[in-house]
Amino acid sequence: QLGYKPELTREPPLEGVTTASTFVLDQPRCVFTDYGNADIWLVVALDQAASTFNNSEGPGTAATAFQSFPDPVRAYMTLNATLGSYPCPKRDGDITVLRVGSETSCAQDTTRPTCNGPLPHPGPYRVKFLALQGSEPVAETAWSVPITLRQAKSPDSIPTTGSGHSAGMIAITTILSILFAILLAGLVAMLVFWGSGSCSGSSAFSKPEAVSVRRYNTHHVYDQPAARL
Amino acid sequence: MAKSDDCLHILQGLLVFGNVVIGMCGIALTAECIYFVSDPNGLYSLLKATENSDIYAAAWIGIFVGLALFALSILGIIGVIKASRTLLLLYIILMVITFAFEMASCITAATGQDSLTPELFQKKMLERYQKSEPANNSDREVTKTWDEFMLQNHCCGVKGPSDWQEYTSAFRVTHSDADYPWPRMCCVLDAKGLPVNLDGCKLGVSGYYNSNGCYDAISGPVSTHAWGVAWFGFAILCWTFCVLLGTMFYWSGIEY
Repeated sequence: QLGYKPELTREPPLEGVTTASTFVLDQPRCVFTDYGNADIWLVVALDQAASTFNNSEGPGTAATAFQSFPDPVRAYMTLNATLGSYPCPKRDGDITVLRVGSETSCAQDTTRPTCNGPLPHPGPYRVKFLALQGSEPVAETAWSVPITLRQAKSPDSIPTTGSGHSAGMIAITTILSILFAILLAGLVAMLVFWGSGSCSGSSAFSKPEAVSVRRYNTHHVYDQPAARL
Repeated sequence: MAKSDDCLHILQGLLVFGNVVIGMCGIALTAECIYFVSDPNGLYSLLKATENSDIYAAAWIGIFVGLALFALSILGIIGVIKASRTLLLLYIILMVITFAFEMASCITAATGQDSLTPELFQKKMLERYQKSEPANNSDREVTKTWDEFMLQNHCCGVKGPSDWQEYTSAFRVTHSDADYPWPRMCCVLDAKGLPVNLDGCKLGVSGYYNSNGCYDAISGPVSTHAWGVAWFGFAILCWTFCVLLGTMFYWSGIEY
C-alpha cells in the first residue's frame, strides 16, 4: 500500500472543484512509478463501504458496475489509465486533474460498466487509486478523506423581503409632502380671499397701467403771450 | 410710492428669474429622462422580468413634467410682467398640479431603487432563465435578455456562477449538472460563439469562464438613473416651491 492519499484539487483554485454531481481530483503523478505495466483504476466508494471494499473485485464486472451504484453496488471502478497517462514529473503550468462524473452519455448504458458517470447523490464518498497487473492488484493508495458534494437549495429559500426604506427615500417623501401641503394651503387661502381685500395692503403694488395725460389747453395759456405784449 | 415701486420691481425681477430657472430645469429634466428611457445599457427587459420597472415609469412622468414646467414658466413670466391676476392664478393652479406629478415621480424613483436587491434578481433568474415548459413569451424574453447581458458584460449569474450550484433552477431541470455546471454563456466565447475551452469552463479554470456576477453591471446604471430622476426632481421642486410662494404673495398684492 502506498502512502499517497487522493485529494480534491486545490491548485489551481477551481470554481467547479465540487458540483452537485461531480468532483475534481489531482492526478496521481509520480505515485505509481514502480508499476510501469499496471492499469491504474480509480475506486469510488460510499463512505461506509470503503473499509469493506475487496481489491480482488475486478473492474467491469457487475459487482463494480457504475450503473448499479449506489444500490446494490457500493463501490465502483472507473477512469482506467496507464502510467503513460500520468507522466512524472509534472510539467509546470499543466493542469493535471481528473474530473469524476463527467461522462453523461454512458450513465445509463449497462454495456459500459466502467463509465465515469455523474454521482447520484451528495455523498459522502471516498476514493482511492488501485493498480492492477492483469487482474492482480499490485498497489493501492490510501483512501481519501470523505468527499461531500454540493447540495442545491430551492430558490424559494432566497429571502426577498424588502431591504427597508432608505433614508433618502424617507427624506424625499416627507419634505415633498410638507411642501405640497403648504402650497395647497396657500392656494386655498388665495381662492378664499379672491376679490376681497388682500392681506398685504391694497396699495402695495399698483398695476403699471399706461396713464394717459390729456393736455388741457386753458384760456390762461393762450392769454399769457397776450399779457406780455 | 417710489419705495413700493422698487419693491414691485425687485419682486417681479425675482419671480422672472425664478421662472427662467424653472424653464431651464424643465428642459434639463426632460432631456435627462429621455436619456434614461432610451435605455442605453439594455436594462429595461431585465427590470421588467423582475417586475421592478417603476423607475422607467418615473422617467416617463419626468419627461412630461419637464415640458410642462417649461411651458408654465413662460406663462408665469408673462403673467408676472403683465401683473394679470387671472394669468397668475391659472399659472399657480397648473403649477401645483405639475408639482403633484413630479412629486409622484420622485417618490416612485426613490422607492423603486430601494426595492432592487440582488436576491430579487437571483430568484427571478433562477425561476425563469431557460424555463422550458411551460414557456411563455416573457420567459423566452427573460432568457434572451440574460444571455445578451451576460455576453456583453462578461459576467455570469447575479452573484456569480455559484448561483447555479447553490440553488436548483429551471435551467437545472433541462441541463444536467455534470454537463452544464453553469450556462454556456458563462464561458469565455470565441468569435463564433463557441466556448474557447469547454472543459476549462466546466471545471471553472479562471480565464475560461466569467467568474464575476452581473449584479454590479445592473445596479450601477440603475442607481445613477434612479438618483438622477429622484434627486434632480427634488431639487427642482424645492426651487419651484419658493417661486410659487413668491408668486402667491405677488398675486395677493396686485390691485384688482
